Amino acid sequence: MRRSRSDALRRVRRAALTFSIAVTALAPGWARAQAEPALPAKAMELELAGKWREALAAYRATLDESLTASVLGIERVYDQLGKRDSILPLIDSLIAKRPREPMLRTIQLRTLAYLHRNEAAAAAFERWVQISPREAAPYREYARLLLDEGRAASADTVLQRAQRALGGTRDITVEMAQLRAATGLWELSAKSWREALATSPYLDQAAVYSLFPTPDSIRPAVRDVFRAPPPQVEARRALALLELRWSSARAGWLVLRELPPTDDAVKAWIDFGDEAEASGAWLVARDAFAAALARKPSRELAVRAANDALTGGDPASAVSLLEPYAAATDSESVRTVLPVRVRALSALGRASEAEALIAANSGRLDSLARVRLVRMAAWGWVRAGDLAKARAALGTAAEGDDEDRTLGWIALYEGDLASARRILKRTSETNPELLLALALLGRTKVDSSPLVGRAFLALARGDSTAAAATLDSAARTVGDAGALLLAAAARIVSARKDDNAAIALWQRVAAEYPTAPEAAEAELEWARVLRRRGDSPGAIQRLEHMILTYPRSALVPQARRELDLARQSVPSTP
Amino acid sequence: MTSPFTRLTRGLRTAVAAAACTGLAASAARAQHLLVPMDDAQQNHLKAYGLTFNALKTGNKAEWFINYRGGAFLLPDEAEIRRRATLDGVTFEAIDNARVQQIRSELAAGNMDAVTLEKAPKIAIYTPPKAPPWDDAVTLALRYAGIEYTTVWDDEVMNGDLSKYDWLHLFHEDFTGQLNKLYLGFRDAAWFVEQRERNLDAAKRLGFNSIPTLKKAVAERIRQYVEGGGFLFAMCGATETLELAIAAHSADIAAAYADGTPIDEDVDGRMDWKRAMAFKDVHVEQSPFTNSMSDIDGHQVNVPARRQPLGQFTLFAFSAKFDPVNTMLVQNHRTVIPDYYGVTTSFTKATIKPGVSVLAYEEGAPWVKYIHGDYGKGSYTYLGGHDPEDPQHNIGNAPTDLALHTTSPGYRLILNNVLFPAAKKKPLKT
Repeated sequence: MRRSRSDALRRVRRAALTFSIAVTALAPGWARAQAEPALPAKAMELELAGKWREALAAYRATLDESLTASVLGIERVYDQLGKRDSILPLIDSLIAKRPREPMLRTIQLRTLAYLHRNEAAAAAFERWVQISPREAAPYREYARLLLDEGRAASADTVLQRAQRALGGTRDITVEMAQLRAATGLWELSAKSWREALATSPYLDQAAVYSLFPTPDSIRPAVRDVFRAPPPQVEARRALALLELRWSSARAGWLVLRELPPTDDAVKAWIDFGDEAEASGAWLVARDAFAAALARKPSRELAVRAANDALTGGDPASAVSLLEPYAAATDSESVRTVLPVRVRALSALGRASEAEALIAANSGRLDSLARVRLVRMAAWGWVRAGDLAKARAALGTAAEGDDEDRTLGWIALYEGDLASARRILKRTSETNPELLLALALLGRTKVDSSPLVGRAFLALARGDSTAAAATLDSAARTVGDAGALLLAAAARIVSARKDDNAAIALWQRVAAEYPTAPEAAEAELEWARVLRRRGDSPGAIQRLEHMILTYPRSALVPQARRELDLARQSVPSTP
Repeated sequence: MTSPFTRLTRGLRTAVAAAACTGLAASAARAQHLLVPMDDAQQNHLKAYGLTFNALKTGNKAEWFINYRGGAFLLPDEAEIRRRATLDGVTFEAIDNARVQQIRSELAAGNMDAVTLEKAPKIAIYTPPKAPPWDDAVTLALRYAGIEYTTVWDDEVMNGDLSKYDWLHLFHEDFTGQLNKLYLGFRDAAWFVEQRERNLDAAKRLGFNSIPTLKKAVAERIRQYVEGGGFLFAMCGATETLELAIAAHSADIAAAYADGTPIDEDVDGRMDWKRAMAFKDVHVEQSPFTNSMSDIDGHQVNVPARRQPLGQFTLFAFSAKFDPVNTMLVQNHRTVIPDYYGVTTSFTKATIKPGVSVLAYEEGAPWVKYIHGDYGKGSYTYLGGHDPEDPQHNIGNAPTDLALHTTSPGYRLILNNVLFPAAKKKPLKT
């Protein structure tokens, strides 16, 4: 832990150093002339080159003209040399000359804490307090170090002294918040964080990090603190991020949505949209961007929101979000808006509209962009169930071309497994549908099966009822991949919460294909459903059978976990 | 109507099943024993104890190879034992008599021994009715390992039911009757109110005028149980408060909020430590505002100004042949274990009676973690701390999921205690 933190610290310092040097090197002449006294550029270059001893000498030589940068440089270099303690005599002599300099005192405390010289650190802290009795810095720095070391009780003592000396907690709110979180006083910690965020909004990530471990039972109290009136953008922002980390992006958005649409709130919505996107909560990101769009319309944001809607499986809202830019014909709109609109229309099966859009803009598209859009429109015909038009839309592109994959899918939908096998095996993409198709084509020796084609076409059209039923029927005709198709049907049926139908399918997999790779998975899923329904004895029986029958299956650890839960040997997870 | 295809697959299943049975039969014919290693080769140490316990419970004999491969178990090669081990993910090795003889030679040559395990002990856990099982490390461990137990509470103890059990476990019950001094901070919390009401009901039902008098009487019954030959295993706050309650035979150690009268002013002088099992010369904390019971606990986690940081504790290495009991209690695949807090985290050396065995200690610290001693015809073992896999354990924290800690060395210490009463008594060599 200490090692990794130290490594991270080094990386950060290195990045900072690189940035400083880059700024110095790129700055215009007049700026450089002004910056030179503050940045010991030569020493930094030596440090960056790993010439530690030379860098050390260079930093020492610049101590008088740029104290802060030089001392920090010396600290870094000693750290690289594994001689952190060597900085102490230098710091002592510098403190003798400048006893009120907080940076020197901080380095002294930091070094002593790093060396685990606790008594010396405590004495150094006392000397600092003595010389700066009304300043918050000594208490803050020392309390932070103690908290970092997990010495919450000692940090508590220091901060209580700080409150007495400073007449309140105004200047130590962050440390108070961290202390309270470290000692399990989550609600009080949330109050301190709210207070700190009001003046230092950039602390939102620190607040989230600190409050993330709040136990489930206390989270409502933390929420109440951040939601308490008056609504504060900073506090809401922190709570929204916290909700996101607690795995509920939607709850996070609801916290922010309630804010009046001020400029700060709109910025918070956009920032939250970024976070939601990063965590894969696409429809939440769409909602956040859409709310911001209503206040501040922007093509770029509309495209992002529409993309998120598409990725989240709601193409209809993607079309609506781009409606205000539908008539725009400038090159940027054609480059950014048109592809998303074509994709959305295709996903909705409105292929003719997609084709019409392409035709209307054909003069503004280069050939490559046009081919890509045509291929998207072809998928629209697939989703509409018209394979002939899809094939026609693709034209006569040769195999081996970028269009192979679409042709491979169309072959599969037409039941031409031999062509699909030949074309699709070349693709390097991975998505669940493709993996299922490749698994089927790799497993079966059958070259033609219209029933399999219909099943996959139903899947592509999002018709899960037809897909499950057709996969089930296809399993009887493609015997060598029957287990695979039945398991796929069961997954679809199970996702629709039709447990009885799913169990019937898993039962068939287990009974009719006991040596197939899907048999263990079928038994495990079957048991999961039984447990969810409250039939623990049934689930236990299934799981025991699965583990004993397939002891080498990769799913055995999961089955054991389920067995523990069914037997109530471990607490159930929420 | 059975289709030819169904008949065919059924035939295939029969063939598969037959092949599996043949495999088992063949290996059963080769091996007479199952060796359950308890070193790093073991994938689930905790369930290995359950496997052994249940093998004993179904009438099998077992052996505990102390100090051999982390304290390995030797079980008969029975189909049911194999089945259970496979289900639980317990690592085992099928071995024949020749290999067992070879191991016995190794045991004879080193600081190791074989202890026969005869009978699964009957286990009682002292816990309030309807208490969730997830707040007590021992109950967590027993449930996870699949070891059967019965819960008892004040009514059963006062009715003399303890004599039905070989092994009694206490957790963070406060036998001083002060409800762990949580009154000041949590008196309005629903769980605290419920706990207090439950204890008051029990006191009234059993004819006591307050919770402290009830708990003192319960502590006395527990003392008698150990004196009469019972095995006691206590953790967390129960260790300290049980001893305080026993020694406070003729002293009032409960604050006024608990029994209506203040603590005796000269309480330290009124304590009778001759009656206690493990501790002596203890200073009782008299302030109801200080969340500490006495100076038995070295860490004082709930008193910010006194709280000591967590370190790590080391298991003492005993002579297996001369001191098998203590050796059994420290069987582990690790010798140094990270410490964890509890209402009582550790035991101050200065308060421990001479003759008590220290099983685990922290290097250079004035406290120890784990102790064992004989008392009358029975014995007791005390382990400080609340949950070996949750070092801080704050109220409201999620319960520990032992499926994520299948090789927990801290939990092994608890489970050593469960099997220790199953050992056939050998005459001591010292």
